[in-house]
Amino acid sequence: MTVLAYGLITGVIFGFLLQKGRVLRYDVQLGALRLLDMTIVKFMLTTIVVAMIGVYLLKDLGYVKLSVKNTLLGANILGGLIFGLGWGLLGYCPGTSGGALGEGRWDAVWGMFGMLVGAGVYAETYPWISKTVLTWGDYGKITLPQLFGLNHWIVIAVIAAASIAVFFQLEKKNL
Amino acid sequence: MKITRDGGWSPYLAGALAGLLLIASAWVSGKFVGASTTYVRSAGMLESLFSPERVKSLDYFVKEAPVIDWQWMFVIGIIIGSFISAITSGSFRTQALPDMWRERFGPSRVKRGAAALAGGVVAMYGARLADG
Repeated sequence: MTVLAYGLITGVIFGFLLQKGRVLRYDVQLGALRLLDMTIVKFMLTTIVVAMIGVYLLKDLGYVKLSVKNTLLGANILGGLIFGLGWGLLGYCPGTSGGALGEGRWDAVWGMFGMLVGAGVYAETYPWISKTVLTWGDYGKITLPQLFGLNHWIVIAVIAAASIAVFFQLEKKNL
Repeated sequence: MKITRDGGWSPYLAGALAGLLLIASAWVSGKFVGASTTYVRSAGMLESLFSPERVKSLDYFVKEAPVIDWQWMFVIGIIIGSFISAITSGSFRTQALPDMWRERFGPSRVKRGAAALAGGVVAMYGARLADG
């Protein structure tokens, strides 16, 4: 029960912040895909940089364990391409469609129905997918520090610096 | 072209606070956020109403069992949190057609509904294939 309560509380705060950041609406999501408005890129990159620093700090102190997913090149690339196609049509993503509904954009309901169907279709095709696509380019649970053979704080510093450089460019170009 | 922001917070501020939330979540409950697995579990729950045998026979529903877990509650929480923020800041607005969509594709709600539905199917298939 405690686990479920934590999930709900975390979700409420996250949804609150997504709405405050104005990243939920179709116009902003399509704005990013059309390279007209980079609000969601600013939000996501800031979240990633902050969380990356904090989570690795806690990991070094022994308070958290990372949950690394397998790198499956075939599935990651193909899935990413397919996801992008659907995202461009829907204009909401799996995490934000509920949030969009919460602020009154009820066309998100159609997207949520579609996503339930998509999940069901994936389950139907999974036996075949797991024997084919999911075996292409399996590199296991690798991280960037492992890949480059560098201390994780060097990788974090480079990503943080690159993100800040991106933010300056976006602000300069008023995106 | 910037889309109107109607009094929201800076995306850097909201994003940084979201980052702190993710750190707290990893620390307190050992959970990392996600959303698309919830659609798999929910699809399994709905399918179980009609053909429980089919659901039990599919490996993917064995792997991602149709139960309510941390992430499922997280996704429900997003709806509630967004609603609270929108209502308390006066930015709640019921809208069936996004402005940008209407400008480009016209006032048909059926057209928008069909695109959103199809987009949802495709996006979720891709998300599950890429594993999140």
